[in-house]
Amino acid sequence: MPEVIQSKPKEKKNIKIVKDATCTFCGCVCDDMELTVDLDEHRITKAKNACVLGRAWFYEHVLEDRPVVLIDGKEATLEEGMDTAAQILVDAKFPITYGLSDCTCEAQRVAVDIMDTINGNVDTTTSVCHGPSGMAFQGVGESTATLGEIRNRADLVIYWGGNPAESHPRHFTRYAVTPKGMYIPNGKKDRTVVLVDVRKTSSTPVADIFVQVKPGKDFEVLWALRALVKGKRISKDIEEQTGVSREMLDDLVYRMKNCQYGVLFLGMGLTMTRGRHFNSGAVYSLAADLNEFTHFVAKPVRGHGNVTGADNVVSWQTGYPFGVNFNRGYPRFNPGEFTTSDVLARGETDAAMIIASDPASNFSRRAIEHLAKIPVITMDTKETHTTKISKVRFAVATYGINTGGTVYRMDDVPISLRPAFDSPFPTDQEVLEGIRQRVKRLLTGSKARTAF
Amino acid sequence: MTTTFLRLHTQPDVPLEAEAISPVAIAGLSELGIEHLPVLHGNIKAKIGDFFKVTGKGVPDILLEGDLGKIKMIGAGMSAGSITIEGNVGMHVGIGMSGGEILVKGNASDWVGPEMSGGRIVVKGNAGHMIGSAFRGQAIGITGGEIFIHGDAKNEIGNSMRRGLIAIGGDAGDFTAVNMRAGTVIVMGKMGVRAGAGMIRGTVVCFEDAPMLPSFEFSCKYQPLFLRLYLIRLQENGFENKITDQHLNGKYRRYSGDGIELNRGEILLFSR
Ligand code: SF4
Repeated sequence: MPEVIQSKPKEKKNIKIVKDATCTFCGCVCDDMELTVDLDEHRITKAKNACVLGRAWFYEHVLEDRPVVLIDGKEATLEEGMDTAAQILVDAKFPITYGLSDCTCEAQRVAVDIMDTINGNVDTTTSVCHGPSGMAFQGVGESTATLGEIRNRADLVIYWGGNPAESHPRHFTRYAVTPKGMYIPNGKKDRTVVLVDVRKTSSTPVADIFVQVKPGKDFEVLWALRALVKGKRISKDIEEQTGVSREMLDDLVYRMKNCQYGVLFLGMGLTMTRGRHFNSGAVYSLAADLNEFTHFVAKPVRGHGNVTGADNVVSWQTGYPFGVNFNRGYPRFNPGEFTTSDVLARGETDAAMIIASDPASNFSRRAIEHLAKIPVITMDTKETHTTKISKVRFAVATYGINTGGTVYRMDDVPISLRPAFDSPFPTDQEVLEGIRQRVKRLLTGSKARTAF
Repeated sequence: MTTTFLRLHTQPDVPLEAEAISPVAIAGLSELGIEHLPVLHGNIKAKIGDFFKVTGKGVPDILLEGDLGKIKMIGAGMSAGSITIEGNVGMHVGIGMSGGEILVKGNASDWVGPEMSGGRIVVKGNAGHMIGSAFRGQAIGITGGEIFIHGDAKNEIGNSMRRGLIAIGGDAGDFTAVNMRAGTVIVMGKMGVRAGAGMIRGTVVCFEDAPMLPSFEFSCKYQPLFLRLYLIRLQENGFENKITDQHLNGKYRRYSGDGIELNRGEILLFSR
């Protein structure tokens, strides 16, 4: 047998290669990363296959030198931090938790359990992005598929109200536009790509057909399409109303009815504009209507890495995806009443636990003012506006880079993480488990919260 | 005494769920008995007496005083009697009521009269979203009763309603009578976009012009006789300043829809 000569690395650096690592920056959750990790410097030096956003996510990750726990701005031990946090939560009459979209499912389930134990309120960042899709989904149902199925079968791909080229750069190349699939042997040549938006964006060049809708008229266009698919009449001033001509609508309807497998991707241009859940509802209903003629699915294009996981975890633990209240000891779902931005704006909560999210930078002024008044517990990988106003602040490890766990891709497919290197900071899960243990201890026996 | 008088002495810090403030719950109780009825203060069980001073025996006519904006579910499940609220009221007022009357002299919050099947709710000020609407996930909204809002109301008035009358003296938000099964919504001010989306049957009336969805079709201009009866009844019930003889005797443009559904619903726009 020939002698095996081990080749020495050129530099004496301590380098590790992590194959099939996962990028958790956006909802695409690409799991084909090849990371080169410099273990001496605790840095990722190369991220093969990552897009611009993914590269920035990996390269910019450095281990900051900052205290693990701050209580009222003063350094404290992890135990003290968890003790104080548990006490705040137990003392509160209307405690809320919010965020959760940028941590693992394992951490999310602990957060839900804490709120279940203390009869609190659970909400995730879903309520400010695709929450309306969740509401529509409950109202009209969903014809769905995985991205793998879409890649292998879809010959008509419609993006509505989104700009994936900038928000989800690999959505086109990995899943829905260019890749060759089992029944799509020639990739993009076999697909028709339609983009519907209120303006031209950097995604527009990808499209074979671009449909420009007047701002705030998506619902009217969707409603007209539904009517035409069902063979009903629509009003003559449709072009005047929506900016989309009757010919264009007829052409779209023809293509939708006659494709082999169609998909409608909904972006936040639909869910966060006038009409919200009815806009997403109209897309789901259109997809459902089209199933009378061919196979058609609708999928929201989700933003944050594990926001889909948050929906899944909160759903399987409470029955509802977001905006869930446990005040009575059993879960109740009511967006508008129990969603964090509304609860804060009305000044209804008296303690908040914010996990991997920064509401103090993007909520309404009234909501932020209230947040500044109450005790806030934060867990985040970096300093944010919210961590600055928090009473107890935990610095935690970054999921996907420093910690393993499970993350759901935007099509509800769970993916395991392969961390690149260790972090001196605890994980969200460890901190939350510590808090849970303390909360349960404080609420044992006669103090246990029961149903109303 | 002919009324049970509840005066707010302590403002709750967090929402108070007080379905016990309802004629059904207080019937026949003493002052002390009423003060001991349970309410939910956030996630803590409390008593009515922690927040209200009660005077009078448990007769089915209740007078409430104070800013009740954070107090939810007042008048839950009432079937007779009356509640008068001298001020604002929180969410879910009159939830599941089947009879009696609630009068709110200030403003009301979201979800006025969810799951209502009879009785009447009158709000003198403005109201929030989802007036007489189904809860999320429910297929059917209110199945009867009357809701009169004298001021403005926001989005999704009468979402999925099955029967009943909702009258808005001021302006209405978007998606008025969305997914309506049947019943009547009358808007005396302006109406937002996408009224009647997905409606199956039922009537939406608006005194001003309103944008129509592409799936609604103009059918005719006429003088609907039934509407006269409705409007006269509303005139007799406090809307006399909003409803003029012109509205009673004028013509209305009728649009039928929603074409995507059964097309048995109608939107009537006043056209002088
Ligand atoms: S598309 Fe999203 S998940 Fe994939 S590499 Fe880019 S940022 Fe990461």
